[in-house]
Amino acid sequence: MRRALMRIDTLLRGGFTEREVLREGRVAVAVPDLSVAAVPLGVAYGLFMGLYAVLRGGPGSGLQLLATALKVPFLFLLTLLVTLPSLYVLSALARSRLSFTHTVRLLLAAVTVNLALLASLGPVTAFFTLSTESYPFMILLNVAFFAISGLVGLGFLRKALDIVFEPEPAGGKPAGDNVAAAALRGASQPDPAGRVFGAWTLTYAVVGAQMGWILRPFIGAPSEPFQWFRERQSNFFVVVWESFLRLF
Amino acid sequence: MLGGRGPLAPGATDSVSRWLPAWVVAAGLLYGAVMGAYSLRPLQMLYSSLKVPMLIAVSGLICLPSLIVLNTVLGLREDLGAVLRGAALAQGTVCVSLAALAPITVVAYLSLDVYAQAVLFNGAVFLVAALAGQVTLSRHYRPLIAANPRHRIARDAWLALYLFVAIQMGWVLRPFVGDPDQPTRFFRVGAWSNAYVEIAELVWSVVRR
Repeated sequence: MRRALMRIDTLLRGGFTEREVLREGRVAVAVPDLSVAAVPLGVAYGLFMGLYAVLRGGPGSGLQLLATALKVPFLFLLTLLVTLPSLYVLSALARSRLSFTHTVRLLLAAVTVNLALLASLGPVTAFFTLSTESYPFMILLNVAFFAISGLVGLGFLRKALDIVFEPEPAGGKPAGDNVAAAALRGASQPDPAGRVFGAWTLTYAVVGAQMGWILRPFIGAPSEPFQWFRERQSNFFVVVWESFLRLF
Repeated sequence: MLGGRGPLAPGATDSVSRWLPAWVVAAGLLYGAVMGAYSLRPLQMLYSSLKVPMLIAVSGLICLPSLIVLNTVLGLREDLGAVLRGAALAQGTVCVSLAALAPITVVAYLSLDVYAQAVLFNGAVFLVAALAGQVTLSRHYRPLIAANPRHRIARDAWLALYLFVAIQMGWVLRPFVGDPDQPTRFFRVGAWSNAYVEIAELVWSVVRR
């Protein structure tokens, strides 16, 4: 446990994605180590999220807590698994320094950063769960927290990609000089890091949002009996909008 | 602490962990007791004296994990000690400011015979105390932001989250002043509702008229 926490701390501090290591095409932490860190973080937030069902009571509320604790890490890892081939192909086409293994490591590291911030927001989720009965509010709160954590994870990923796609220094210019590199690229040259980042973000976000919809329920609507999975109907984006309207 | 000088100046390393909680509790107890004295009910004064330090301290504790993780992700971990110190001293300033405004609150209560006015007055007092806390926080953050502008992002994000939680915490812990027309209770009936949903419904009902 202590080792996992230290690994998470090192990851958050950027210890596994240092400039010199990334420029060599490496991410200095193995997939099993990241998984051991990511899964408990996801389970932790899932427990906070599933607390709503437990406090509302009713049959199956304990099972909902268990289901949510399992589904949160599963959501992230399954989305990554589904999108990984396309994400790797996109980055390889852009001539990424990272091999397939190290691409997996980088993406999993970003997911772990995402889950770390999400888990840290768990006490806030628990507080609002204790103090509100509004199911639409809890949906929107959780969507907001997933979005905020996602943005932080994306920031981590973008920073790493900028280094991965840095052009080789030419003419004696120091390596890692981003201002010089940007000047070398010039306004007319493409920004591979930006393109890969944009494509990765769009792919992962759309698949992830709909994966979340497929894996629902996470919170458990008070008016519906417990089910591991709901029937296929509608989609994530329509439901968020409808929840917002139901606040009034 | 208020002047940001000496051992409590920004950048100083004196520990505040031993005496600051006592100050927060004492000042919060004092102002809470005054706050609950509107109807001169001792039980309400006791309840409110417990609630004010709870409001400030528990809101801070709930937001603490996110503060730590966000500062770490933004590469500001080495300044975490200074950040936590600034945040704690800001909360201390809020409590001390509240306590300092207690005599004025007493005078206000002698002048206001409408409960809603007393609630609004206390809201204004909390706003003034919060602004005072902001002065301390800004003072401690100034050298941090000068050294690394990312501190501004971390500070603003933490403030937004703290405010979001504290408003709901204040809603849940009410009543603080104590409506003379209602019996004294620690929590109002229906306290476990959502301040933001209530505000949204109120705004919507006004808009729909």
